[in-house]
Amino acid sequence: MNALEEKLNRFVKYRISEEDVRLLIDHLKQKAPVYAPHNSGEASFSYELVEKSTDVVLQYPRTMQPIKKFFLPPKEVLLNFNIKDNTYSKPEVPEETRIFFGIHSYEMASLKRLDYSFTQGHRESNYISRRKYAIFVGISYEPDESHFSKSVGIDVEETEGFDLFLLKNDTGYFLLEITETGKKLLDGYKENLVPDREELKLEPLRFKSKIKYHHNRLPSVFDHVYKSKVWEKYAEICVGCGTCNLLCSTCYCFDIRDEVELDAEHGSRTRYWDGCMLNTFAEVAGGENFRGSLARRTRHRLYRKFRYITAKSEMLHCVGCGRCSHYCPVGISMTDIVNDLIADHEEKQKREKI
Amino acid sequence: MENFALPTEDLYSPEIATITRVETLTESEKRFEIRMPGEKALNHKPGQFVEVSIFGFGEAPISICSSPTRGPLFELTVRATGRLTDKMHLLSEGSQIGIRGPFGNGFDPGAFKGKDILFVCGGIGLAPLKSLIDYTLDRREDFGRIIILYGTRNPSEILFPEEIKTWQSRKDVEFAITVDQASEEWQGNVGVITTLIPGLELDVKNTIVTVVGPPVMYKFVLMSLKGKRIPDENIYLSLERRMKCGVGKCGHCQINDTYVCQDGPVYHYPRVKQLEEAI
Ligand SMILES: Cc1cc2nc3c(=O)[nH]c(=O)nc-3n(C[C@H](O)[C@H](O)[C@H](O)COP(=O)(O)OP(=O)(O)OC[C@H]3O[C@@H](n4cnc5c(N)ncnc54)[C@H](O)[C@@H]3O)c2cc1C
Ligand code: SF4
Ligand code: SF4
Ligand code: FES
Repeated sequence: MNALEEKLNRFVKYRISEEDVRLLIDHLKQKAPVYAPHNSGEASFSYELVEKSTDVVLQYPRTMQPIKKFFLPPKEVLLNFNIKDNTYSKPEVPEETRIFFGIHSYEMASLKRLDYSFTQGHRESNYISRRKYAIFVGISYEPDESHFSKSVGIDVEETEGFDLFLLKNDTGYFLLEITETGKKLLDGYKENLVPDREELKLEPLRFKSKIKYHHNRLPSVFDHVYKSKVWEKYAEICVGCGTCNLLCSTCYCFDIRDEVELDAEHGSRTRYWDGCMLNTFAEVAGGENFRGSLARRTRHRLYRKFRYITAKSEMLHCVGCGRCSHYCPVGISMTDIVNDLIADHEEKQKREKI
Repeated sequence: MENFALPTEDLYSPEIATITRVETLTESEKRFEIRMPGEKALNHKPGQFVEVSIFGFGEAPISICSSPTRGPLFELTVRATGRLTDKMHLLSEGSQIGIRGPFGNGFDPGAFKGKDILFVCGGIGLAPLKSLIDYTLDRREDFGRIIILYGTRNPSEILFPEEIKTWQSRKDVEFAITVDQASEEWQGNVGVITTLIPGLELDVKNTIVTVVGPPVMYKFVLMSLKGKRIPDENIYLSLERRMKCGVGKCGHCQINDTYVCQDGPVYHYPRVKQLEEAI
C-alpha cells in the first residue's frame, strides 16, 4: 500500500451508485445552496447553482472558469459611491454556508494558494467572508491531455481541504468521510448505508502531460533559467490575450476601476480580474513599461507560479489544472514551456562541465 | 489550515479627508494640504505614500511630501497626468478627497543618525524626499552634513521655491540645483543631475545617499555614485511602479519577487541591485 492508499483507507467509506450520488446532492441541497459542474455548451463545463441534481455533471475534465470565481468574483463592487455628496457604502459580503460539489483535487489545492495570498500580510475581509463557511465535496477525475497536477505534487485522489470525497470505482463511487463537518452532512443520508471495509487499491493514473522533473526540483530550475532563450520562443507565438491569467486557478491579480452611472451622480468602485500578460499591466505614467515585451511577461507569469511566491509560501503556485494550456488560443502549453526550460538548463549545465 | 476566524481588514474603503490649502507650484504641479477626519495624524514615515481617490475618477498612489514632525496635516504634491490627477487639480480648499494609507515601508531616519545624508532628487522625486529632508532639518542635531542635489528639466519646473530659498540660506544645508535646459534668465548650473555628483567632497563611508527621480535617472546616478566609491550598502532608492491596491494584493507593482507597495517604495540598493526589472 502506498502512502496515499494508506491515508484513504483510514477514512470511513461507503459504496454508492451514481443514483445515490444524485440523492446525496438532493440531500445536501436541503442544508445549503449547492454549486456543482454543469454543461455549458459543447464540451464546456461551468460551476453553477444546482437546481436539479440530474443536471450535475459528475465526470468532466475541467470547468472553464476555476473555482476562484466564487471567492474572488470576476467583477466585484468594492464601494458604491455618490459623487455629489462624497459618500459611499460598502456592499455587505455575505458570510454564508455554500457547498461546492464535485470538485477536483487541483481546485482544492488552488484555494489553499489563494488562502495564502489573501491572508498573508493584510487579511482581506472580502475574500475571507466568502471563503469562511465553504464546504467541499471532492470527486476523482480522469486526466485529459492538459492536466498535469501529479507533476506538481497533487494526486487525483488528494483529499486535503475536502469534507467529503467521491472516488470513482467500477460500479459507482466510494463516498469518503474526510472531516467532522463532512460526517455531519451525511446525517439523514447514510442511515441505510453500511461502511465498506474493503481495502482501497488505486489504479495508477496515467497523466498524458508531465513535467520531466520531480516538483521539488522545479524552484531550483527557476534559479537558472531567467536568461533562457525559451522565453523568446514562446513570446514569438503568444498573442498576449491574457486568457492564461484570467482562467488560471491561482492567478489573483486585479484591476480597480471607478464606473459612473448615466445620472453622473452614482457609481461604483469595482474590481476586475486582471492579468500580467496584458501589456498595460505594469505601465506607468509617461508610458514607461517595466515588462514591455511578451518574453518578459511570459517569464513573469511562470516565475509567479514556480519561484516568487513559492519561496515564501513553500507551495508551487501552479496546480496543474491545465486551463492555461487548454484554452490558449495559439496552443502554448505549460508543460512544454517548463520542459523546455529544464532541457535548456540541463544543456547549460553540460556545457559548464566541459 | 488557514484560520478564517482571525480578524480581517476592510482594505479598500477610503477615509474622507478635506483639502485645507492648494498651492500652484508649476504649470502641471500643485501642492495640497490635507486634513484627515477629526484632524487625526496620519502617523506616516518619510517616503510612504497614500492612495488618493476622487469618486468617479479612481485612485492613485501619491507620496506624502511633508514630514511627520510637522503636525497632523500633511501635504501631497501632484502632477496632472491623467484622470485622477487632472481632476484633483480642479479641486480647491474645502474639497473632499478619499485617502487610504499610509502605505509602503518608507525611510527609517533613525538608522541614519549621525550620518551625512546626500539627497539626489530628480524632478518630482523631490516631493517624496522633501518629507525626509524636512524630517532631518527638524532633528538637525541628529545628523551630519545635509547635502541636497536637485535636477529638473527647466527652470519653470522647479518645485517648492520657498523651501529651496530656506535651504539655500541655511549654513547647515548644502544645496545645489541644475536644469537640463536653461531659460534666458537662468544663471545656475546647466546639465543633468549627475553633473553635480563628481565635484562633491564626501566622507563616503559615513554618507547615506537617497535617490528618487524618474525611472531613467537611476542607472546614471548609480554609476556616478559608484564613481565616488559610495558603498552600495549606503544607498537607498524609492521606486515607482503601477499600483492599484497599495496593500500587496493586486500584483501591479511587482518587480520580480518584491511588491513595491509593501516592501518598497524605498529599497536598500543591495536588495534590488540583482533584480533585472528594478532599475
Ligand atoms: C509610490 C508612488 C508614489 C508616487 N508619488 C507621486 C507624487 O508624489 N506625485 C505625483 O504627481 N505622482 C506620484 N506618483 C505617480 C502617480 O501615481 C501617477 O501619476 C498617477 O497614478 C496617475 O493617475 P491618473 O489617474 O491621473 O492617470 P491615469 O489616467 O490613470 O493614467 C495616466 C498615465 O499614468 C499611468 N499610471 C496609471 N496608474 C499609475 C500608477 N499607479 N503609477 C504610475 N503611473 C500610473 C498610466 O499608465 C498612464 O500612462 C507616484 C506613484 C507611485 C507608485
Ligand atoms: S493564453 Fe496563450 S496567447 Fe494568450 S497570453 Fe497566454 S500564452 Fe499568450
Ligand atoms: S498555470 Fe496553468 S496549469 Fe498552472 S494553475 Fe494556472 S492555469 Fe492551471
Ligand atoms: S499595488 Fe497592489 S500589490 Fe502593490
